[in-house]
Amino acid sequence: MTGRIFSIEEFATFDGPGIRMTVFFKGCPLRCSWCHNPESQQMGVEYVRSPNGCLGCGRCLQAAKTAEDGTKHLTAASVEACPRFLVRRCGEDYSTDALCDRILANASILTSTGGGVTFSGGEPLLQAAFLFSCLEVLRGRVHTAIQTCGYADAETFAGVLERCDYVLYDLKLMSPDQHREFCHADNAKILQNYRTLAASGKPFVTRVPLIPGVTDTVENLTAMAAFVREQGVDYVELLPYNRMAGSKYAGLLRPFAPGFDENRPVELHTGIFEKYGIRAKKM
Amino acid sequence: MTELVKRQLELLNAREYRKLRHPPELDPDTVVQQWDKHTLEGEAARFAYACTCEKEAVFHGEDLFGFNRYCSGALPNKGRFGNVVIDYETVLAKGLCGILDDINARRATADEEAQCYYDAVETCYKACFGLVEMYKKAATVQGNTRLAQALAQVPRHGARSYYEALVMLRFLSYVLRINRCVHLPLGRFDLYMRPYYERSVAEGMTESEGLELTELFFIAMNFDSDLYIGIQKGDNGQSLVLGGCDREGNEVFGPLSEICLQASEELVLIDPKVNLRVNKSTPLPLYERGTRLTKQGLGFPQYSNDDIAIPFLISLGYDPADARNYAMAACWEFISSGNGADTPNKTTMLFPLVVERVTREALPTAKTFEEFLEAVGVALDRECDRLMEECNKHPATTPVPLLSSFISPTIEQGRDITRGGGKYHNYGLHGAGISTAADALAAIREGVFERKDFTARELLAALDADFVGYEDMRKTLLSYPKMGNNDDRADLLGCFLMDRYASYLNGKPNHIGGVFRAGTGSAMTYITSAAKIGATADGRRAGTPFASSYSPSPDARLKGPLSNIQSFTKFDLTRICNGGPFTIEIHDTVFRNDEGERKVAQLIKAYIDLGGHQIQINAINRDRLLDAQAHPENYPNLIVRVWGWSGYFTELDTVYQNHIIKRMEFTV
Repeated sequence: MTGRIFSIEEFATFDGPGIRMTVFFKGCPLRCSWCHNPESQQMGVEYVRSPNGCLGCGRCLQAAKTAEDGTKHLTAASVEACPRFLVRRCGEDYSTDALCDRILANASILTSTGGGVTFSGGEPLLQAAFLFSCLEVLRGRVHTAIQTCGYADAETFAGVLERCDYVLYDLKLMSPDQHREFCHADNAKILQNYRTLAASGKPFVTRVPLIPGVTDTVENLTAMAAFVREQGVDYVELLPYNRMAGSKYAGLLRPFAPGFDENRPVELHTGIFEKYGIRAKKM
Repeated sequence: MTELVKRQLELLNAREYRKLRHPPELDPDTVVQQWDKHTLEGEAARFAYACTCEKEAVFHGEDLFGFNRYCSGALPNKGRFGNVVIDYETVLAKGLCGILDDINARRATADEEAQCYYDAVETCYKACFGLVEMYKKAATVQGNTRLAQALAQVPRHGARSYYEALVMLRFLSYVLRINRCVHLPLGRFDLYMRPYYERSVAEGMTESEGLELTELFFIAMNFDSDLYIGIQKGDNGQSLVLGGCDREGNEVFGPLSEICLQASEELVLIDPKVNLRVNKSTPLPLYERGTRLTKQGLGFPQYSNDDIAIPFLISLGYDPADARNYAMAACWEFISSGNGADTPNKTTMLFPLVVERVTREALPTAKTFEEFLEAVGVALDRECDRLMEECNKHPATTPVPLLSSFISPTIEQGRDITRGGGKYHNYGLHGAGISTAADALAAIREGVFERKDFTARELLAALDADFVGYEDMRKTLLSYPKMGNNDDRADLLGCFLMDRYASYLNGKPNHIGGVFRAGTGSAMTYITSAAKIGATADGRRAGTPFASSYSPSPDARLKGPLSNIQSFTKFDLTRICNGGPFTIEIHDTVFRNDEGERKVAQLIKAYIDLGGHQIQINAINRDRLLDAQAHPENYPNLIVRVWGWSGYFTELDTVYQNHIIKRMEFTV
């Protein structure tokens, strides 16, 4: 079995306990307007250019292709064309064994720090069968976590809870309309799976991206605090929007149109959570 | 930070005081000509002359220490001894008069050479006392009674308080640097200062007063650090060691160590550069404490592993007590404190040079990779022979009586350290470009012998052309296994090179009664020598830099820090521990909260626990460095770690700036 991965990070410091490797799965069911990993969204292989050290010579663009919808994309030829090797292929197919071997090579260090591996994305549950096969190989050998937006069938979600050790669960917008507007999907499954998670006894952490004027509103956070509290949760992590988020879009030749004012400072509103007896930590 | 410390720090960072210095003294070598350059009396006379050039006492602001330079002009290390740790313990306890008493007690039975040495020391001390008198008078006139009173005691007599001991250290640093002995580190500050600190505490000094004094002392160490330079500004050797075990094996880290770390963290200055000694039992919180300094962008602490360094030193004949009492020289060389006359940076084994030469000479005719590799091994042996011969031809010749008198047991021996004085006389060799050389070997094995992507002759043609017209081949070469990715195909070749070099070199006698020691450092050669070495088979272009010291090549695309630390702990580093740290860059956003800090600390601990010898960490923001290149005026105090020391980014030559920026290039 193979899965499509767009990046493997060896020293992830914000993806769960201890030092972690984070494996980024390609493909996501959501299209959050603030997404800082735009190369994670599509299942197909893409080519992305790192801005660091770019000479601006334009050779990668000469090798780009134009899709039917008129959008431009870098290509394998762009990788060859870049004199500084800054264009890379995004999306590699790994077999279960190849990926697990890569993780297990670091297992003793990960374990010694109370860490492990985190499967993130994209959305790892979009490649559930592959994810499950990896989790089964790794079971008992290294601590496993998934970072998920929660958008999955109940059955799939139950399956991952059976197989992983820890969950990092994102909650973004409580209003279904707003969720559809900014994330391009309904949030009913997300809220339902969250209830399942909270009832399961599986260790997890709730993470809330604070997007200025979108998710950081009093209305949204009050509804969220009430919902979270209802599930018996007393701790959330707040991830303030980072203005660097848009930086990767240029590398994919895509415009970044987040649909909100990036320069507006994020409202932390930890008080709202506290009112519900929830400790909120800014990450 | 107290108001006084704030004012002194502001004064330092404004750098205006530098403009008040006076024209540089004339070179003592040209002024004092009546003695041969290499005699003890000549050297003492030159020092006495240099002292007379410091015409007035200089105080900066509300200076508690004095001993600042009157003359401007950087002082190059003109071949005089450095990179030794003086016997602070003895000097602080006895004072200069105590050392003179020892000399007088030995006069009657001393041979002629000893008499000469003692005469020279006395001449030097007389000149020193002149400077002390000058400062004492000036302090009295200025109403600086605290300093005036201290100078009535030190440096003539032993220190009685923490403050007096600090004044003594300022004095020592000042006179030795006037004597052009640069690269003189502070050694094990928290060990030898502890008795004075504790005595002052017992006499009523509060912890915050202790911190204030320490901070003022650290600031004072920076006033003239721009004058004491090596190859680049910042490379001034003012390093300091904290923690580790004492001569008997007891843990040293304590309240004074804690105060030093706090002072460094608050001041954010390049000096003193902190080294933290650690071992397998060092608890995570100490690493976390150190990481808070790293987070400030200081580029230190540098961590040294007792579990590796001490066995290495013992294996080369150091007494176990001396091995346990090691300190760092200017950058990262492991040396004995107080009694060593080692030269730990005598010369450099340039691994890529050897591999490049053998590639040209032996690759075209080699039938197997093993045959080729053996040719590399033999060439390494011959290169060791050549380097040792070179070292033996050039022992240090200019005597340094003032410095020698502070090293034990030269007074008992009656010998300057360049004339056999001191306990250890070993020569250390750096080992530069290990990763580049290992990657080149891996590329040759993959490309020529295993995959047969090209022939030896094609490869040589590409190297001759510096890959112009061979861009595809270069891409192929760059895609082969690289040291730093936990891939045995490259890592074990690095181990082969180190094994061959260390086995051949370690313990071989030199001509001054010591032995040779193998290390993994590069000093500046990763830039300067690399500039003269042609294209290499790993895909590196001619003239471009190697990694600094013991790190993956700048051309290697890396999987990440976990693979990296595993690659660089595969070799038994107790065999190659002259010094030369593993260096990693971490993006400064990782430090944005305490969780990130803790994980950096865990990573450092993991490297040490795996058997790493030494590690330094740069917290870097590439965009900020680029902006600093474009607008240096906005970043006068931006600090980075260079090859073994921290300096101000905007004061570095562009080539060193670019090397740091390039190391960040592959991070997205």
